Amino acid sequence: MAANPTFKTPVIAQPTGELRGKMEGMWSDPPGLYGWLGTTDHKKIGKRYLVTAFVFLMVGGIEALGMRLQLAQPNEHLLSPGLYNQFFSMHGFTMIFLYSLPILSGFSNYLWPLILGTRDMAFPRLNAFTYWVFVLAGIFLYIGFWGGKGTDVGWFNYVPLAERQYNPDWNVDVYSLGMIFLGVSTTAGAVNFIATMFRTRAPGMSISRVPIMIWGTLVANIGILFAVPAVSLDFLMLWLDRRFGTQFFNPATGGRPLLWQHLFWIFGHPWVYAIVLPAMSIVSQGLPVYCRRPLVAHSAVVLATILTMVLGFGVWVHHMFSTGLPVIAMGFFAAASFVIVIPSAVSVFAWVATIWTGRPVFTTAFKFFAAEIVLFVIGGVSGFMTAAVPLDWQLTDTYFVVAHIHYVLIGINVFPVVGGIYHWFPKMTGRMMSERLGWWNFWLMFIGFNLGFFPMHISGLEGMPRRIYTYPANMGWGDLNLVTTIGAFVFALGVLLFVINVIRSRFVGEKAPANPWDAPTLEWATESPPPSYNFAVIPRVATLHPLWEERLDGSRQSLLDEGAVLDDEHEIPATTALDAEPDAIMKMPHTTLAPVSLALLIAGTFVGLLMSMWWVAAACLLAMIPALLWWFWPRPEMGWAERARP
Amino acid sequence: MTAYDERTLPRPLPIGPAGYRTPGWWGVLALIGTEAAVFAYLIFSYFYLQSQTSQPWPPSGLPPLRWSAPSTAILLVSAATMWWAERGMRLGKLIRLYSGLILTLLLGVAYIVLQCFDWRGEPFLANSGAYGSLFYAITAFHVLHTAAGVLIVAAIAGWCALGYITPRRNSAVTVVALYWYFVVAAWIAVFVTLYLLPWITPHGGPP
Repeated sequence: MAANPTFKTPVIAQPTGELRGKMEGMWSDPPGLYGWLGTTDHKKIGKRYLVTAFVFLMVGGIEALGMRLQLAQPNEHLLSPGLYNQFFSMHGFTMIFLYSLPILSGFSNYLWPLILGTRDMAFPRLNAFTYWVFVLAGIFLYIGFWGGKGTDVGWFNYVPLAERQYNPDWNVDVYSLGMIFLGVSTTAGAVNFIATMFRTRAPGMSISRVPIMIWGTLVANIGILFAVPAVSLDFLMLWLDRRFGTQFFNPATGGRPLLWQHLFWIFGHPWVYAIVLPAMSIVSQGLPVYCRRPLVAHSAVVLATILTMVLGFGVWVHHMFSTGLPVIAMGFFAAASFVIVIPSAVSVFAWVATIWTGRPVFTTAFKFFAAEIVLFVIGGVSGFMTAAVPLDWQLTDTYFVVAHIHYVLIGINVFPVVGGIYHWFPKMTGRMMSERLGWWNFWLMFIGFNLGFFPMHISGLEGMPRRIYTYPANMGWGDLNLVTTIGAFVFALGVLLFVINVIRSRFVGEKAPANPWDAPTLEWATESPPPSYNFAVIPRVATLHPLWEERLDGSRQSLLDEGAVLDDEHEIPATTALDAEPDAIMKMPHTTLAPVSLALLIAGTFVGLLMSMWWVAAACLLAMIPALLWWFWPRPEMGWAERARP
Repeated sequence: MTAYDERTLPRPLPIGPAGYRTPGWWGVLALIGTEAAVFAYLIFSYFYLQSQTSQPWPPSGLPPLRWSAPSTAILLVSAATMWWAERGMRLGKLIRLYSGLILTLLLGVAYIVLQCFDWRGEPFLANSGAYGSLFYAITAFHVLHTAAGVLIVAAIAGWCALGYITPRRNSAVTVVALYWYFVVAAWIAVFVTLYLLPWITPHGGPP
């Protein structure tokens, strides 16, 4: 073969031991620090995302337990008012920004190429970059806390309280810059998922054969693309106001504090869907496996997912009903908020029908997925209630809203995530998780959660405001709060059991076969854990459920053990967006330090901006030019360029 | 097995980012989507604050077109030169590609210089009021996008001179051209909002 061939006809063959050995040599990372820092393997990056995000969940959880101890009884003094403000603010942004989405990115990073029948994401280096930026931004967001004062004006950080004259410390600057920094990771990740979806699916996986898990993540990431700019811009404006005296939010010179709220919630509400739709699609993908049948109304659920995201951009004002907006605007946004019930109900009924018409196997994963349906309905109904303007006026800023947000975020994010780990842990590690511990894990989390959060509806209806550090005894909220605190600790015990189960099973769990749950999608077609190259030969897909074809269609139609070999360095087929017909061969990058270097330079820029060391920021910014040139240099071996003329 | 038909595999496939919708094309499309959203939110903020103010908007009289009108023309011409370069590459005329890229780059720099003159002539600062804050934020955000575009075009021109880019290996040019058209289109939106609309519908505060 020529040194830089322009065309190549893929060899179609069955995998051999020799081929597997050759592929392992090409795709695995070199040992040592270089391989660890420079890996672009989506499976390693996915697992890092999962672990890091879960650590943030536990940090945020400890903050929550601190608050629950403080509120267990009236007039307690465990936390000072100032520290309490920091706790609820840090708890909010940790859970919403550093846990909810990154944990789902972890699942998606790990699973996408496996489900799509390929060997890596469309942009493997960008994938590594998003992880490093996420970690560094997470650390950055916490330096305020270690530096004496964390952000303390709530996770939605309203102005004018967040402006310098009312909040002169650096904590809000940390939060503002940290959120812009984190937005880089989120946006880059979204770009990667979109390109991966439309360019790297296995041959034959036409748009109607794309599994539901892909749809949930794709739709959420398209939403992220248009939502995150609003909050990044909002925080940039705030930082400029604080640092350079611009007047975006100052009413005395034409600015408006409500501009903050508009931009924040234009982002904030779509973000809710960004952190629940992928989790709902985990349920849609996992639940049918344990019901021993395909998901009922697959296409309707896909369309409902898309519709939910689209409608999600038109409801932001329901977070602002108490700000005195015109009645006509509130009427529109209340109506839009009601309408969103319809696509949500499509998913719920599809899940219920799947259980109803299936033969459920009551594994731990099934329990978590089924619990999600229950909690989603409760959280949905409380959301529906607050979509009514007069009721919202009564309930806004009370514990009713706190109960609602936790039913939504724990019910539709944490429960599917834990269920998803039980489901995919055998694939990721090659070992099964303990079902006996799983039973305890599930019931402690489920009972603890409802015990902890359901009474908040009542304390909210009784008028207990959120974000108060204590309350007088004569309000009569003491008993409800004690129950809530006990429930929170039972829930935390359940989470702890989960962590113990993960660690224990990782080392002594029963060995897992390739497809322990007898599931239908491609990630179960390769070994557990998958080899570095995922598939020795590229599968060719003929239906939505390649591994269930004998049962559902009478005979095997997809080709899984014969396919394109593509063994000349890192090769994957590129396929067309709708029909998934192969039309090029992509050369994927190898282990490289470019992503981590660029992430560190961005971190340096933000540290420079935070400390007002402009020369540091400028130097890091300038250094990004050679780093980017290095990254994008047209390498002939990647097919990006002709060989340079001699 | 006979499951492989003519349309799938095996057949000769181009290696590397060939064809029209390369991963880079999807990537830049997504990037343009998210950057366009930033401009949209900036312009939303502009109209929102305008709708809420009782003062004249802009506060210091109609915006001058002395620099912004010619810079608009320059950016429009730069879109044409980029298109000319891209066409040249498709036709295999590498000299035309190279000179088209250099022309685009120079026009981009000229726009940035003109915008600096515009800033020097404005009677307000970024901290003198919400209008000034938004005016400088929007225009500076666009200048930053153009500056990034100039650097990218310079890199492409350099790689072109090194012989990396040929009519067969052209996806980088296609993708960068797409970004450049976005920069020009975003300026049209900015120019119409900030410079033209106040002339057409003066907002003088309450009657």
